[in-house]
Amino acid sequence: MTFYEISNSKLLYGLVIIGLLYILGFAAIFLKRSYKRCVELGIDRSTVNDVIKSSLAFTLVPSIAIVIGFFSLSAVMGIPWPWWRLSVLGSVGYELMAADLASKGMSYANVAAMAEANDPQVFSVIMIVMTIGILGGFLVLLPFGKKMTTGLMAAREKKDSTWGIVMSSCFMLTLASVFLPVMIFGDAVSAATLFTSALITLLMTLLIKQFKIHWLSNFVLAVTLLLSMIASVGWQALLG
Amino acid sequence: MKEKKETVILDDYTNWVHRFGRIGALIAILYMVFIPIAIALAYDSFPPLSAILKGGIGVMALFIPIGISEVISYTPILGSASYLTFLTGNILNLKLPCVLNALKLAKADQNTPEGDAIATVAVAASSILTMLIIALGVLLLVPLQPLFQTAFVKSATSYMLPALFGGMFLGILGPEQGSFRIKNKLLIMIVPVVIVSITVITGILISGLEGVAILLMLPIAIGIARILWKKGIVQVVTNEVKED
Repeated sequence: MTFYEISNSKLLYGLVIIGLLYILGFAAIFLKRSYKRCVELGIDRSTVNDVIKSSLAFTLVPSIAIVIGFFSLSAVMGIPWPWWRLSVLGSVGYELMAADLASKGMSYANVAAMAEANDPQVFSVIMIVMTIGILGGFLVLLPFGKKMTTGLMAAREKKDSTWGIVMSSCFMLTLASVFLPVMIFGDAVSAATLFTSALITLLMTLLIKQFKIHWLSNFVLAVTLLLSMIASVGWQALLG
Repeated sequence: MKEKKETVILDDYTNWVHRFGRIGALIAILYMVFIPIAIALAYDSFPPLSAILKGGIGVMALFIPIGISEVISYTPILGSASYLTFLTGNILNLKLPCVLNALKLAKADQNTPEGDAIATVAVAASSILTMLIIALGVLLLVPLQPLFQTAFVKSATSYMLPALFGGMFLGILGPEQGSFRIKNKLLIMIVPVVIVSITVITGILISGLEGVAILLMLPIAIGIARILWKKGIVQVVTNEVKED
Protein backbone atom coordinates (compact mmCIF):
# COMPACT_ATOMS: atom_id res chain seq x y z
CA MET A 1 0.00 0.00 0.00
CA THR A 2 1.26 3.49 -0.88
CA PHE A 3 0.83 6.86 0.87
CA TYR A 4 -2.11 7.75 -1.41
CA GLU A 5 -3.79 4.35 -1.09
CA ILE A 6 -3.64 4.35 2.72
CA SER A 7 -4.69 7.99 2.94
CA ASN A 8 -7.92 7.18 1.06
CA SER A 9 -8.43 3.64 2.38
CA LYS A 10 -11.83 2.28 3.42
CA LEU A 11 -10.47 1.38 6.86
CA LEU A 12 -9.43 4.98 7.52
CA TYR A 13 -12.81 6.22 6.30
CA GLY A 14 -14.55 3.77 8.64
CA LEU A 15 -12.47 4.71 11.68
CA VAL A 16 -12.98 8.42 11.01
CA ILE A 17 -16.76 8.09 10.58
CA ILE A 18 -17.07 6.11 13.86
CA GLY A 19 -15.04 8.78 15.65
CA LEU A 20 -17.10 11.61 14.17
CA LEU A 21 -20.36 9.95 15.21
CA TYR A 22 -19.00 9.66 18.75
CA ILE A 23 -18.07 13.36 18.88
CA LEU A 24 -21.44 14.29 17.36
CA GLY A 25 -23.20 12.30 20.12
CA PHE A 26 -20.96 13.92 22.75
CA ALA A 27 -21.93 17.39 21.48
CA ALA A 28 -25.63 16.47 21.28
CA ILE A 29 -25.68 15.32 24.93
CA PHE A 30 -23.93 18.56 25.97
CA LEU A 31 -26.52 20.54 24.01
CA LYS A 32 -29.48 18.71 25.57
CA ARG A 33 -28.24 18.92 29.17
CA SER A 34 -27.06 22.52 28.98
CA TYR A 35 -30.37 23.57 27.34
CA LYS A 36 -32.25 21.94 30.23
CA ARG A 37 -29.89 23.64 32.68
CA CYS A 38 -30.61 27.06 31.13
CA VAL A 39 -34.35 26.55 31.55
CA GLU A 40 -33.88 25.36 35.17
CA LEU A 41 -31.91 28.53 35.87
CA GLY A 42 -34.80 30.65 34.65
CA ILE A 43 -33.51 31.65 31.22
CA ASP A 44 -36.42 31.94 28.76
CA ARG A 45 -36.66 29.18 26.18
CA SER A 46 -36.98 31.90 23.53
CA THR A 47 -33.65 33.38 24.66
CA VAL A 48 -31.94 29.97 24.55
CA ASN A 49 -33.44 29.32 21.11
CA ASP A 50 -32.21 32.74 19.93
CA VAL A 51 -28.72 31.86 21.15
CA ILE A 52 -28.85 28.59 19.20
CA LYS A 53 -30.10 30.34 16.04
CA SER A 54 -27.47 33.05 16.35
CA SER A 55 -24.70 30.51 16.99
CA LEU A 56 -25.72 28.51 13.93
CA ALA A 57 -25.84 31.62 11.75
CA PHE A 58 -22.47 32.76 13.06
CA THR A 59 -20.94 29.29 12.55
CA LEU A 60 -22.06 28.92 8.96
CA VAL A 61 -19.63 31.38 7.42
CA PRO A 62 -16.37 30.46 9.25
CA SER A 63 -17.20 26.80 8.60
CA ILE A 64 -16.99 27.47 4.88
CA ALA A 65 -13.43 28.69 5.46
CA ILE A 66 -12.70 25.41 7.25
CA VAL A 67 -14.08 23.47 4.28
CA ILE A 68 -11.78 25.41 1.94
CA GLY A 69 -8.87 24.51 4.24
CA PHE A 70 -10.05 20.91 4.06
CA PHE A 71 -9.97 21.06 0.25
CA SER A 72 -6.37 22.34 0.42
CA LEU A 73 -5.19 19.68 2.87
CA SER A 74 -6.98 16.85 1.08
CA ALA A 75 -5.03 17.58 -2.09
CA VAL A 76 -1.92 16.15 -0.42
CA MET A 77 -3.22 14.06 2.49
CA GLY A 78 -6.27 12.28 1.11
CA ILE A 79 -9.85 12.84 2.25
CA PRO A 80 -10.53 11.06 5.56
CA TRP A 81 -7.56 12.29 7.59
CA PRO A 82 -8.08 16.06 6.96
CA TRP A 83 -11.84 15.46 7.46
CA TRP A 84 -11.08 14.00 10.89
CA ARG A 85 -8.45 16.58 11.83
CA LEU A 86 -10.55 19.60 10.89
CA SER A 87 -13.71 18.22 12.53
CA VAL A 88 -11.95 17.25 15.76
CA LEU A 89 -9.39 19.23 17.73
CA GLY A 90 -7.70 21.03 14.87
CA SER A 91 -7.91 24.21 12.89
CA VAL A 92 -6.80 25.06 9.36
CA GLY A 93 -3.74 27.02 10.52
CA TYR A 94 -2.56 24.41 13.01
CA GLU A 95 -3.00 21.49 10.66
CA LEU A 96 -1.08 23.23 7.89
CA MET A 97 1.73 24.15 10.27
CA ALA A 98 1.86 20.69 11.82
CA ALA A 99 1.96 18.95 8.44
CA ASP A 100 4.63 21.35 7.20
CA LEU A 101 6.83 21.02 10.31
CA ALA A 102 6.54 17.23 10.25
CA SER A 103 7.40 17.03 6.54
CA LYS A 104 10.44 19.27 7.03
CA GLY A 105 11.47 17.29 10.09
CA MET A 106 11.57 14.24 7.83
CA SER A 107 13.83 16.12 5.37
CA TYR A 108 11.20 16.85 2.70
CA ALA A 109 11.03 20.32 1.15
CA ASN A 110 7.30 20.64 1.96
CA VAL A 111 4.07 18.69 2.41
CA ALA A 112 3.54 18.26 -1.33
CA ALA A 113 7.05 16.79 -1.77
CA MET A 114 6.41 14.46 1.15
CA ALA A 115 3.17 13.20 -0.40
CA GLU A 116 4.90 12.87 -3.77
CA ALA A 117 7.41 10.42 -2.24
CA ASN A 118 4.37 8.14 -1.66
CA ASP A 119 5.98 6.37 1.33
CA PRO A 120 3.33 4.65 3.51
CA GLN A 121 5.47 5.00 6.66
CA VAL A 122 5.56 8.77 6.14
CA PHE A 123 1.74 8.87 6.24
CA SER A 124 1.82 6.96 9.54
CA VAL A 125 4.38 9.42 10.94
CA ILE A 126 2.22 12.37 9.89
CA MET A 127 -0.89 10.88 11.53
CA ILE A 128 0.94 10.10 14.77
CA VAL A 129 2.72 13.45 14.94
CA MET A 130 -0.36 15.53 14.10
CA THR A 131 -2.32 13.66 16.77
CA ILE A 132 0.21 13.84 19.60
CA GLY A 133 1.30 17.40 18.83
CA ILE A 134 -2.17 18.85 19.29
CA LEU A 135 -3.04 17.06 22.53
CA GLY A 136 -0.94 19.31 24.80
CA GLY A 137 -3.89 21.35 26.01
CA PHE A 138 -5.61 18.27 27.42
CA LEU A 139 -2.64 17.65 29.72
CA VAL A 140 -3.89 20.72 31.58
CA LEU A 141 -7.62 20.67 30.83
CA LEU A 142 -8.43 17.14 32.00
CA PRO A 143 -6.81 17.27 35.43
CA PHE A 144 -7.29 20.98 36.13
CA GLY A 145 -10.31 22.07 34.02
CA LYS A 146 -12.77 21.91 36.89
CA LYS A 147 -10.56 23.88 39.27
CA MET A 148 -9.78 26.43 36.56
CA THR A 149 -13.40 27.09 35.64
CA THR A 150 -14.33 27.67 39.27
CA GLY A 151 -11.23 29.54 40.37
CA LEU A 152 -9.04 30.96 37.57
CA MET A 153 -11.28 33.88 36.70
CA ALA A 154 -10.94 35.21 40.22
CA ALA A 155 -7.16 34.91 39.96
CA ARG A 156 -7.11 36.78 36.65
CA GLU A 157 -9.03 39.65 38.17
CA LYS A 158 -6.17 40.32 40.57
CA LYS A 159 -4.00 43.26 39.61
CA ASP A 160 -0.77 41.29 39.11
CA SER A 161 -2.45 38.71 36.90
CA THR A 162 -1.87 40.79 33.76
CA TRP A 163 1.46 38.94 33.54
CA GLY A 164 -0.54 35.83 32.65
CA ILE A 165 -1.99 37.66 29.65
CA VAL A 166 1.43 38.94 28.54
CA MET A 167 3.04 35.51 28.94
CA SER A 168 0.27 33.84 26.95
CA SER A 169 0.93 36.20 24.05
CA CYS A 170 4.63 35.24 24.05
CA PHE A 171 3.86 31.89 22.37
CA MET A 172 2.27 33.47 19.31
CA LEU A 173 4.87 36.27 19.20
CA THR A 174 7.68 33.68 19.29
CA LEU A 175 5.98 31.74 16.52
CA ALA A 176 5.97 34.90 14.38
CA SER A 177 9.56 35.74 15.42
CA VAL A 178 10.80 32.42 14.05
CA PHE A 179 8.64 31.90 10.96
CA LEU A 180 8.82 35.46 9.60
CA PRO A 181 12.64 35.52 9.16
CA VAL A 182 12.64 31.91 7.89
CA MET A 183 10.06 32.74 5.22
CA ILE A 184 11.48 36.15 4.34
CA PHE A 185 15.18 35.24 4.16
CA GLY A 186 14.91 31.53 3.33
CA ASP A 187 13.11 31.40 -0.02
CA ALA A 188 12.11 34.18 -2.46
CA VAL A 189 8.79 32.54 -3.44
CA SER A 190 7.86 32.04 0.23
CA ALA A 191 8.68 35.68 0.96
CA ALA A 192 6.65 36.93 -2.01
CA THR A 193 3.69 34.70 -1.08
CA LEU A 194 3.90 35.83 2.56
CA PHE A 195 3.80 39.51 1.57
CA THR A 196 1.00 38.84 -0.94
CA SER A 197 -1.00 37.21 1.84
CA ALA A 198 -0.41 40.13 4.20
CA LEU A 199 -1.32 42.61 1.46
CA ILE A 200 -4.57 40.82 0.58
CA THR A 201 -5.57 40.70 4.26
CA LEU A 202 -4.74 44.38 4.68
CA LEU A 203 -6.70 45.40 1.58
CA MET A 204 -9.71 43.34 2.63
CA THR A 205 -9.61 44.81 6.13
CA LEU A 206 -9.53 48.33 4.68
CA LEU A 207 -12.40 47.49 2.29
CA ILE A 208 -14.48 46.12 5.17
CA LYS A 209 -13.88 49.24 7.28
CA GLN A 210 -14.35 51.70 4.43
CA PHE A 211 -17.56 50.23 3.02
CA LYS A 212 -18.81 48.66 6.29
CA ILE A 213 -19.18 45.22 4.67
CA HIS A 214 -18.77 43.37 7.96
CA TRP A 215 -20.03 40.03 6.65
CA LEU A 216 -16.84 39.90 4.58
CA SER A 217 -14.76 39.64 7.78
CA ASN A 218 -15.69 35.98 8.05
CA PHE A 219 -14.19 35.30 4.62
CA VAL A 220 -10.86 37.15 5.04
CA LEU A 221 -8.85 34.06 6.05
CA ALA A 222 -10.35 31.84 3.36
CA VAL A 223 -10.03 34.40 0.55
CA THR A 224 -6.48 35.31 1.60
CA LEU A 225 -5.44 31.66 1.65
CA LEU A 226 -6.92 30.93 -1.78
CA LEU A 227 -5.70 34.07 -3.54
CA SER A 228 -2.21 33.84 -2.03
CA MET A 229 -1.90 30.19 -3.06
CA ILE A 230 -2.89 31.13 -6.61
CA ALA A 231 -0.39 34.02 -6.48
CA SER A 232 2.33 31.61 -5.30
CA VAL A 233 2.07 29.76 -8.64
CA GLY A 234 2.77 33.07 -10.41
CA TRP A 235 5.64 33.83 -8.02
CA GLN A 236 7.12 30.37 -8.74
CA ALA A 237 7.05 31.12 -12.46
CA LEU A 238 8.70 34.51 -11.88
CA LEU A 239 11.19 33.70 -9.13
CA GLY A 240 11.38 29.92 -8.85
CA MET B 1 -20.18 31.66 53.69
CA LYS B 2 -17.34 30.03 51.79
CA GLU B 3 -18.98 26.66 52.27
CA LYS B 4 -22.26 28.00 50.83
CA LYS B 5 -20.47 29.40 47.78
CA GLU B 6 -18.73 26.07 47.18
CA THR B 7 -22.13 24.33 47.38
CA VAL B 8 -23.60 26.69 44.79
CA ILE B 9 -20.66 26.25 42.37
CA LEU B 10 -20.36 22.49 42.76
CA ASP B 11 -24.01 21.51 42.34
CA ASP B 12 -25.25 18.38 40.54
CA TYR B 13 -25.06 19.87 37.04
CA THR B 14 -21.56 21.26 37.53
CA ASN B 15 -20.31 17.96 38.88
CA TRP B 16 -21.99 16.13 36.01
CA VAL B 17 -20.70 18.47 33.27
CA HIS B 18 -17.09 18.14 34.41
CA ARG B 19 -17.27 14.38 34.93
CA PHE B 20 -18.96 13.86 31.54
CA GLY B 21 -16.56 16.29 29.86
CA ARG B 22 -13.48 14.63 31.31
CA ILE B 23 -14.51 11.04 30.62
CA GLY B 24 -15.91 11.86 27.17
CA ALA B 25 -12.81 13.81 26.17
CA LEU B 26 -10.50 11.10 27.48
CA ILE B 27 -12.29 8.43 25.41
CA ALA B 28 -12.05 10.70 22.34
CA ILE B 29 -8.32 11.26 22.91
CA LEU B 30 -7.66 7.54 23.25
CA TYR B 31 -9.59 6.98 20.03
CA MET B 32 -7.58 9.72 18.28
CA VAL B 33 -4.35 7.94 19.22
CA PHE B 34 -5.85 4.57 18.27
CA ILE B 35 -6.60 5.59 14.64
CA PRO B 36 -2.98 6.10 13.44
CA ILE B 37 -1.79 3.03 15.34
CA ALA B 38 -4.56 0.87 13.87
CA ILE B 39 -3.86 2.12 10.33
CA ALA B 40 -0.09 1.63 10.69
CA LEU B 41 -0.56 -1.92 11.99
CA ALA B 42 -3.25 -2.81 9.44
CA TYR B 43 -1.12 -1.70 6.49
CA ASP B 44 2.22 -2.81 7.93
CA SER B 45 3.51 0.75 7.80
CA PHE B 46 4.47 1.35 11.42
CA PRO B 47 7.36 3.82 11.34
CA PRO B 48 10.51 3.50 13.48
CA LEU B 49 10.55 5.63 16.64
CA SER B 50 13.42 7.66 15.19
CA ALA B 51 11.19 8.73 12.24
CA ILE B 52 8.40 9.77 14.62
CA LEU B 53 10.86 11.79 16.70
CA LYS B 54 12.45 13.37 13.61
CA GLY B 55 9.09 14.36 12.18
CA GLY B 56 7.51 15.21 15.50
CA ILE B 57 10.03 17.17 17.54
CA GLY B 58 9.23 20.48 15.86
CA VAL B 59 5.48 19.93 16.00
CA MET B 60 5.54 18.96 19.66
CA ALA B 61 7.93 21.77 20.59
CA LEU B 62 5.53 24.23 19.00
CA PHE B 63 2.07 22.90 19.69
CA ILE B 64 2.32 21.42 23.17
CA PRO B 65 3.17 24.78 24.80
CA ILE B 66 0.64 26.56 22.54
CA GLY B 67 -2.04 24.03 23.47
CA ILE B 68 -1.31 24.44 27.17
CA SER B 69 -1.26 28.24 26.92
CA GLU B 70 -4.59 28.20 25.04
CA VAL B 71 -6.25 26.13 27.75
CA ILE B 72 -4.93 28.47 30.45
CA SER B 73 -5.99 31.57 28.48
CA TYR B 74 -9.43 30.57 27.21
CA THR B 75 -10.85 28.20 29.82
CA PRO B 76 -11.94 31.09 32.10
CA ILE B 77 -14.06 32.45 29.25
CA LEU B 78 -15.33 29.13 27.92
CA GLY B 79 -16.15 27.57 31.30
CA SER B 80 -17.33 23.98 31.24
CA ALA B 81 -17.79 24.30 27.46
CA SER B 82 -13.99 23.97 27.31
CA TYR B 83 -14.12 20.16 27.01
CA LEU B 84 -16.21 20.28 23.86
CA THR B 85 -14.46 23.39 22.55
CA PHE B 86 -10.96 21.95 22.77
CA LEU B 87 -12.17 18.62 21.45
CA THR B 88 -13.72 20.13 18.33
CA GLY B 89 -11.01 22.77 17.78
CA ASN B 90 -11.22 26.00 15.76
CA ILE B 91 -11.19 27.93 19.01
CA LEU B 92 -10.08 31.44 18.05
CA ASN B 93 -11.82 31.62 14.69
CA LEU B 94 -15.10 30.04 15.75
CA LYS B 95 -15.85 28.85 19.28
CA LEU B 96 -14.60 31.79 21.33
CA PRO B 97 -16.52 34.43 19.30
CA CYS B 98 -19.55 32.15 19.43
CA VAL B 99 -19.42 32.01 23.25
CA LEU B 100 -18.96 35.78 23.57
CA ASN B 101 -21.91 36.32 21.23
CA ALA B 102 -24.08 33.92 23.27
CA LEU B 103 -23.21 35.64 26.56
CA LYS B 104 -24.11 38.98 25.04
CA LEU B 105 -27.43 37.73 23.64
CA ALA B 106 -28.43 36.08 26.92
CA LYS B 107 -27.11 39.05 28.90
CA ALA B 108 -25.19 36.58 31.07
CA ASP B 109 -21.72 36.83 32.60
CA GLN B 110 -19.16 34.07 32.36
CA ASN B 111 -18.32 32.21 35.53
CA THR B 112 -21.94 32.39 36.61
CA PRO B 113 -24.16 29.29 36.33
CA GLU B 114 -26.22 31.03 33.62
CA GLY B 115 -23.18 32.10 31.61
CA ASP B 116 -21.61 28.67 31.84
CA ALA B 117 -24.76 26.90 30.63
CA ILE B 118 -25.49 29.28 27.75
CA ALA B 119 -21.85 29.09 26.60
CA THR B 120 -22.16 25.30 26.45
CA VAL B 121 -25.38 25.57 24.42
CA ALA B 122 -23.63 27.85 21.91
CA VAL B 123 -20.50 25.70 21.58
CA ALA B 124 -22.50 22.47 21.24
CA ALA B 125 -24.77 23.90 18.53
CA SER B 126 -21.79 25.40 16.70
CA SER B 127 -19.77 22.17 16.91
CA ILE B 128 -22.60 20.07 15.49
CA LEU B 129 -23.15 22.45 12.57
CA THR B 130 -19.43 22.68 11.75
CA MET B 131 -19.13 18.91 11.63
CA LEU B 132 -22.16 18.67 9.33
CA ILE B 133 -20.80 21.37 7.00
CA ILE B 134 -17.40 19.67 6.77
CA ALA B 135 -19.18 16.37 6.02
CA LEU B 136 -21.03 18.17 3.23
CA GLY B 137 -17.66 19.43 1.99
CA VAL B 138 -16.44 15.83 1.89
CA LEU B 139 -19.41 14.82 -0.25
CA LEU B 140 -18.72 17.70 -2.64
CA LEU B 141 -15.01 16.95 -2.74
CA VAL B 142 -15.31 13.36 -3.98
CA PRO B 143 -16.47 14.32 -7.48
CA LEU B 144 -14.04 17.24 -7.47
CA GLN B 145 -10.96 15.30 -6.34
CA PRO B 146 -9.39 14.90 -9.84
CA LEU B 147 -9.15 18.70 -9.92
CA PHE B 148 -7.02 18.65 -6.76
CA GLN B 149 -4.48 16.32 -8.37
CA THR B 150 -3.55 18.81 -11.11
CA ALA B 151 -0.03 20.30 -11.35
CA PHE B 152 -1.42 23.78 -10.69
CA VAL B 153 -3.07 22.78 -7.42
CA LYS B 154 -0.05 20.77 -6.28
CA SER B 155 2.18 23.75 -7.05
CA ALA B 156 -0.13 26.08 -5.12
CA THR B 157 -0.34 23.76 -2.10
CA SER B 158 3.46 23.84 -1.80
CA TYR B 159 3.14 27.39 -0.52
CA MET B 160 0.06 27.01 1.69
CA LEU B 161 1.90 28.05 4.82
CA PRO B 162 3.19 31.49 3.72
CA ALA B 163 -0.19 31.99 1.98
CA LEU B 164 -1.85 31.63 5.37
CA PHE B 165 0.82 33.18 7.57
CA GLY B 166 1.00 36.60 5.90
CA GLY B 167 -2.57 37.35 6.88
CA MET B 168 -2.44 35.45 10.16
CA PHE B 169 0.67 37.27 11.36
CA LEU B 170 -1.01 40.61 10.74
CA GLY B 171 -3.61 39.50 13.27
CA ILE B 172 -0.98 38.34 15.78
CA LEU B 173 1.14 41.46 15.44
CA GLY B 174 -1.80 43.88 15.38
CA PRO B 175 -3.79 45.03 18.43
CA GLU B 176 -5.99 42.38 20.09
CA GLN B 177 -9.71 42.72 19.36
CA GLY B 178 -10.94 41.24 22.65
CA SER B 179 -11.47 42.84 26.03
CA PHE B 180 -7.80 43.83 26.34
CA ARG B 181 -4.73 44.60 24.25
CA ILE B 182 -1.02 44.40 25.00
CA LYS B 183 0.71 47.74 24.55
CA ASN B 184 4.24 47.63 23.03
CA LYS B 185 4.14 43.85 22.59
CA LEU B 186 6.22 44.00 19.39
CA LEU B 187 9.23 45.02 21.53
CA ILE B 188 9.21 41.46 22.88
CA MET B 189 9.97 40.18 19.37
CA ILE B 190 13.01 42.32 18.53
CA VAL B 191 15.74 40.12 20.04
CA PRO B 192 14.27 36.78 18.85
CA VAL B 193 13.75 38.18 15.31
CA VAL B 194 17.35 39.48 15.15
CA ILE B 195 18.80 36.17 16.40
CA VAL B 196 16.66 34.06 14.03
CA SER B 197 17.36 36.36 11.06
CA ILE B 198 21.13 36.05 11.62
CA THR B 199 20.91 32.27 11.90
CA VAL B 200 18.81 32.04 8.72
CA ILE B 201 21.09 34.35 6.69
CA THR B 202 24.24 32.56 7.86
CA GLY B 203 22.66 29.18 7.08
CA ILE B 204 22.73 27.92 10.69
CA LEU B 205 18.94 27.68 10.86
CA ILE B 206 17.80 25.56 7.95
CA SER B 207 14.26 24.69 6.97
CA GLY B 208 12.95 21.94 9.23
CA LEU B 209 14.49 23.25 12.42
CA GLU B 210 11.84 25.91 13.08
CA GLY B 211 10.43 23.90 15.97
CA VAL B 212 13.80 23.77 17.70
CA ALA B 213 14.24 27.49 17.10
CA ILE B 214 10.87 28.17 18.74
CA LEU B 215 11.85 26.09 21.75
CA LEU B 216 15.10 28.09 22.08
CA MET B 217 13.52 31.49 21.48
CA LEU B 218 10.56 31.00 23.81
CA PRO B 219 12.46 31.48 27.11
CA ILE B 220 14.23 34.51 25.61
CA ALA B 221 10.90 36.07 24.59
CA ILE B 222 9.29 35.31 27.95
CA GLY B 223 12.34 36.70 29.81
CA ILE B 224 12.28 39.92 27.78
CA ALA B 225 8.50 40.18 28.19
CA ARG B 226 8.85 39.79 31.96
CA ILE B 227 11.46 42.56 32.16
CA LEU B 228 9.45 44.92 29.93
CA TRP B 229 6.23 44.15 31.85
CA LYS B 230 7.92 44.77 35.21
CA LYS B 231 9.30 48.09 33.94
CA GLY B 232 5.81 49.06 32.77
CA ILE B 233 6.89 49.28 29.11
CA VAL B 234 4.69 46.34 28.10
CA GLN B 235 1.23 46.85 29.56
CA VAL B 236 -2.16 45.19 29.39
CA VAL B 237 -4.73 47.83 28.47
CA THR B 238 -8.49 47.35 28.50
CA ASN B 239 -10.13 47.78 25.11
CA GLU B 240 -13.15 50.05 24.98
CA VAL B 241 -16.34 48.09 24.30
CA LYS B 242 -18.01 49.32 21.14
CA GLU B 243 -21.81 49.16 21.15
CA ASP B 244 -23.49 48.20 17.88
